[in-house]
Amino acid sequence: MSLLSVKNLRVTFETETGPVQAVRGVSFSLGRERLGIVGESGSGKTMTGRAVLRLIRPPGRIEADEMRFDGIDLMAASEGQMRALRGQRIAMVMQDPKYSLNPVMTVGQQLTEGLRQRDRLGKADAVKRALAALEAVQIRDPERVMTAYPHELSGGMGQRVMIAMMLIPEPDLLIADEPTSALDVTVQAEVLSILDALVRDRGMGLIFISHDLRLVARFCDRVLVMYKGRVVEELAASDLMAAQHPYTRGLLNCLPRIGGSRGPLPGLDRSADWAV
Amino acid sequence: MSLIEVDNLSVTYSAKGRAVRAVQEVSLSVAHGESYGLVGESGSGKSTILRAICGLAPVSGGSIRIGGEEVPTPRGKRFASRVQMVFQDPYASLHPRHTIDSILSEPLAIHGMGDSDALVRRALSDVGLPANFRFRYPHQLSGGQRQRVAIARALMLAPPILLLDEPTSALDASVQAEVLNLLNRLRAERNLTFLMVSHDLAVIDHMCDRVLVMQHGRAVEELTRDALARAEMTTAYARSLFDASADRMLGAL
Amino acid sequence: MGALRAWLADPNPGSRRQARLGQWWLGWLRLRRNPLAMSGLLIVGALLLIAALAPWIAPHDPVTQDLSRRLLPPGTPGNWLGTDDFGRDILSRILYGARITLYIVSLVALTAPVLGLLMGTVAGYFGGWVDSVLMRITDIFLAFPRLILALALVAVLGPGIENAVLAIALTAWPPYARVARAETLTVRNSDYIAAVRLQGAGVARIIAGHVVPMCLPSVIIRVTLDMAGVILIAAGLGFLGLGVQPPMPEWGLMISSGRKYLFEQWWVSTMPGLAIFIVSLGFNLLGDGLRDVLDPKSAPK
Repeated sequence: MSLLSVKNLRVTFETETGPVQAVRGVSFSLGRERLGIVGESGSGKTMTGRAVLRLIRPPGRIEADEMRFDGIDLMAASEGQMRALRGQRIAMVMQDPKYSLNPVMTVGQQLTEGLRQRDRLGKADAVKRALAALEAVQIRDPERVMTAYPHELSGGMGQRVMIAMMLIPEPDLLIADEPTSALDVTVQAEVLSILDALVRDRGMGLIFISHDLRLVARFCDRVLVMYKGRVVEELAASDLMAAQHPYTRGLLNCLPRIGGSRGPLPGLDRSADWAV
Repeated sequence: MSLIEVDNLSVTYSAKGRAVRAVQEVSLSVAHGESYGLVGESGSGKSTILRAICGLAPVSGGSIRIGGEEVPTPRGKRFASRVQMVFQDPYASLHPRHTIDSILSEPLAIHGMGDSDALVRRALSDVGLPANFRFRYPHQLSGGQRQRVAIARALMLAPPILLLDEPTSALDASVQAEVLNLLNRLRAERNLTFLMVSHDLAVIDHMCDRVLVMQHGRAVEELTRDALARAEMTTAYARSLFDASADRMLGAL
Repeated sequence: MGALRAWLADPNPGSRRQARLGQWWLGWLRLRRNPLAMSGLLIVGALLLIAALAPWIAPHDPVTQDLSRRLLPPGTPGNWLGTDDFGRDILSRILYGARITLYIVSLVALTAPVLGLLMGTVAGYFGGWVDSVLMRITDIFLAFPRLILALALVAVLGPGIENAVLAIALTAWPPYARVARAETLTVRNSDYIAAVRLQGAGVARIIAGHVVPMCLPSVIIRVTLDMAGVILIAAGLGFLGLGVQPPMPEWGLMISSGRKYLFEQWWVSTMPGLAIFIVSLGFNLLGDGLRDVLDPKSAPK
């Protein structure tokens, strides 16, 4: 049985000049696997991720024929039920840890806050759980990091703390929205391998949202390619190089590669009918 | 003779009473018409070198020469007409309350050049923007279009040297390809000399003849394009950077 | 008319002049869509009109006394807003007072923000010791209660309306300097300022052409909020005999002179008070609307 199934998801924003559809009929289902959603800015990939958590603010509107998570109808769930799901069973990691961590609280306070309030753990137990979570994301001296403020951490460290924080409630589904684009390439590789291990060891479902086609192809099992709010192609990551759709091919070809030709990079032709 | 010569450059900031050595004794030289790359991760000091050349970062040691002459401090108008820079974030480098027209005509006004009307029109068409963008504001443009405006602005004074500070890292892959193609075309047409900074080894490889790998404010290794393509690096750090670049990751698939 | 409108609204203007006029036109359209700002504009426009036409629309001479008709209540035929303690018609005095109020307000609004902007942007842009010196001067001005400082200045300069304006302007600029400095600090390290420095622009050009436009909206808001305060300080100075001299019909002076009769003849103070209230409201509403118009981001895409 699939963990998450989404049928004909639409996200519409009411603007002065009439409704604008950010997501136009996206369908997919996810088991305990790694699903990549790739697209350029404005393709609706972030909106798709947020819509699953129903985190779209008015004037945005979410519609779907079906959006079901582990037997729960997400479209019919009350706001209270959604709050119980968010963070506990479906977690989300954002692009930039700088904006997702509270700057005036230490990492330790932020990590233990949920444990103490939601799970009613004692202080010692909460700290123990938090330390374990930091170790799980391969932070070398978790005691020091616990007492640090977010601005004292590097980008890679902050992103790992974010992931640790999201993983403490042991969610079934993790939505990672560009979790590594603010990081250096060498750190990026480390964070990805941590995510990878977590998916494998805990049997978690993962939605990995990124603009980087090659990264997603290497890291995920399946890839959805989005353009202008639609899924233009869905394929197994291993078949990416054999992608058929001109948009996917265009995205692959427009990247420079080491040792490649120095002629002009092929541009993306947006004039075909799929681009409408 | 080298057009840009940087000799033992050091840049030291004082932040919160603590001296931060952003660049330590880095030397490089770029020949006329060459395209030279600086690559490294955040905090490696690669952007600081560009800012130091432009007088936007405090030089604490070493020397910078353009065309054999020591650069003056403050840099002044003559320097401005020889060296210009394109910044990383096209959303932050254009004045939000100026139209594209006033952004592009400002350098002409500063240097007292006439006929800005025709020059602005030409500049827009040179970077592939339609003429009717002229009186729009930056927020009405997409990221790639803004970066084109920033490139047009840098070229208004027809400088022989362009410093490029991660000019495409804020852009989508397809837009990046367009901007890189534009830069290469302009370089060929105007015989420009590039000094380009990027964290992306593949972009640097595509654009540059030689590349300097940097780490923690120091120069690690200088590579020619051929050596890079054949993975003939001698230092461990340059190799780890090479291995970690997304391009290689796909190759390992 | 239709052709002119089309020319102004052309999204692809052909010349700079057309583009600039088009900007003004768009700004006007945006302002017109905002009913609050339009009512503000209406009030300020009415004030201008009244000030210009006061001699023709006022039913009585504002300074002629008639002790037989003193302290008549509002609604008396011939004196619709009543009369004051010297039997002068309050309506006429308010209409004439619009001239003095407008004079004071516009002079202060032209001088204090300019001085504040200059001090604030220079301090913020240069930083270091320039910033320290200019900001300590600002602090000294801020440390005194405004009225006391204005009093001291007028006492030195001598009473009179020009000196009162000067005193008010000299006490009103520090908040603008503070606001402008704060904005400048956020702007000065931005890439677009670095870019214009790289083009070889001088300091004056950078500050006037690139920093000031970013500070203007918050300063304009401050100015419109301060207008009521300016009218009241002018009144305070007048009351103490250091500003506008009696029998000139200045609104603040009229409020002060009605203080003695506040309980029995409330209208003597209330009527000019209402005038100040309406005009302050007008400036506030207009200022709010202007801020939106000045921000090109609020324009439709």
